[in-house]
Amino acid sequence: MVREQSLTAEFPRDFFGISLPEQPNKYYFMIRGQRLVVEADSTIQTIMDKLQSYKSRVALCFEGFQYQLGDFQLRVGKVVPSHSENLRGIVMEVEYLPISSMEKARQIMEEFVDIWQEAISKRSLPGHFMHIEPNFSEYGLLDHYTPQHTAVQYATVVAQMIATQTVQATRN
Amino acid sequence: MECVVQGIIETQHVEALEILLQGLCGVHREDFRIHELCLKSGPNLGLVNSEVRLLFDLYQAEPTWTVKHVGGAMRGAGAEQISVLVRTMVESKASKNVLRLFYALGYKLDHELLRVGFAFHFQRGARITVSVSSVNKMLKLHATDGDEAVPVTPGIQLVEVTAPATPENYSEVVAAVSSFCEYLAPLLHLSKPGVSTGVVPTAAAAAASLMSDGGGTTL
Repeated sequence: MVREQSLTAEFPRDFFGISLPEQPNKYYFMIRGQRLVVEADSTIQTIMDKLQSYKSRVALCFEGFQYQLGDFQLRVGKVVPSHSENLRGIVMEVEYLPISSMEKARQIMEEFVDIWQEAISKRSLPGHFMHIEPNFSEYGLLDHYTPQHTAVQYATVVAQMIATQTVQATRN
Repeated sequence: MECVVQGIIETQHVEALEILLQGLCGVHREDFRIHELCLKSGPNLGLVNSEVRLLFDLYQAEPTWTVKHVGGAMRGAGAEQISVLVRTMVESKASKNVLRLFYALGYKLDHELLRVGFAFHFQRGARITVSVSSVNKMLKLHATDGDEAVPVTPGIQLVEVTAPATPENYSEVVAAVSSFCEYLAPLLHLSKPGVSTGVVPTAAAAAASLMSDGGGTTL
């Protein structure tokens, strides 16, 4: 979402809004610059539309497939604008189901990703997966994993995607 | 969308009103102590000035925030003929840092209130809520403790009757609200917000009757 008629840099020019399939009645807002994440009912989108202070600029869809690998749930999908087929990137989400504590699950998650990266490297596919873990504590989030953690991660992914493509556009 | 009417009642008659409502609604009252913050957008935030309300119920076991947007009322000849206000209204529960979100987006605190009272939620042709509350202003910023909030209108409390509606069913909801309001007529007059009617002359007698026999009297 972007601000209407931004005259000063005092307030964020834009911020993220995310809906998650496992939380159909919820919506999440993030202002990354202020490390702020808010969970609200999905009707908050209607309220923001009526306020008309911010309007939706770009809507991205993460669509793909979900796999179950033992205790791991894997989602791999493409990132495309809502009304376009232009591929913006590929996102993979790994969830270790038995444990909600991020610290306790950290080692096994890293091992899984290492195995994944090794498998991918043998396929000589273009590009590579990047994982940038947000500092959840800066957002006021605790070790117990919640949908707000997921929302922050997706916002980080989108921001990284935008930054990467901006750099590439500049080089070209 | 919601249908709403409002009225006022003297604090001395609130107990009688509660007896009447208890008899009519058949449910227990729910107390509330709601901190209401009215935020408005600044001049450089959008083409249209916007207003949003954040409500924080201090009485809930797990205090929750609600974001509320009240829109324009239905207009036209049809709207003028009905005694109930029909207006757009959208609410959303939100996590505790929603106030910080709106401040970060450029909204400013216009005013804040503390509403203390009780409500009855029941089904009678529509899902109706009757709330009776004193509206208090805080002497200090965000000070919601008892001694730091004073009534805006001492001795007078606000009564609101609201019911959610849709464009498809608002006529039925209006009829249900209007019908229910007739039962309260001896104690108070309910009308569209902004239409001032004052206290009704029969309130004292009706209240005395209710208090004398605990609501057994048919008004």
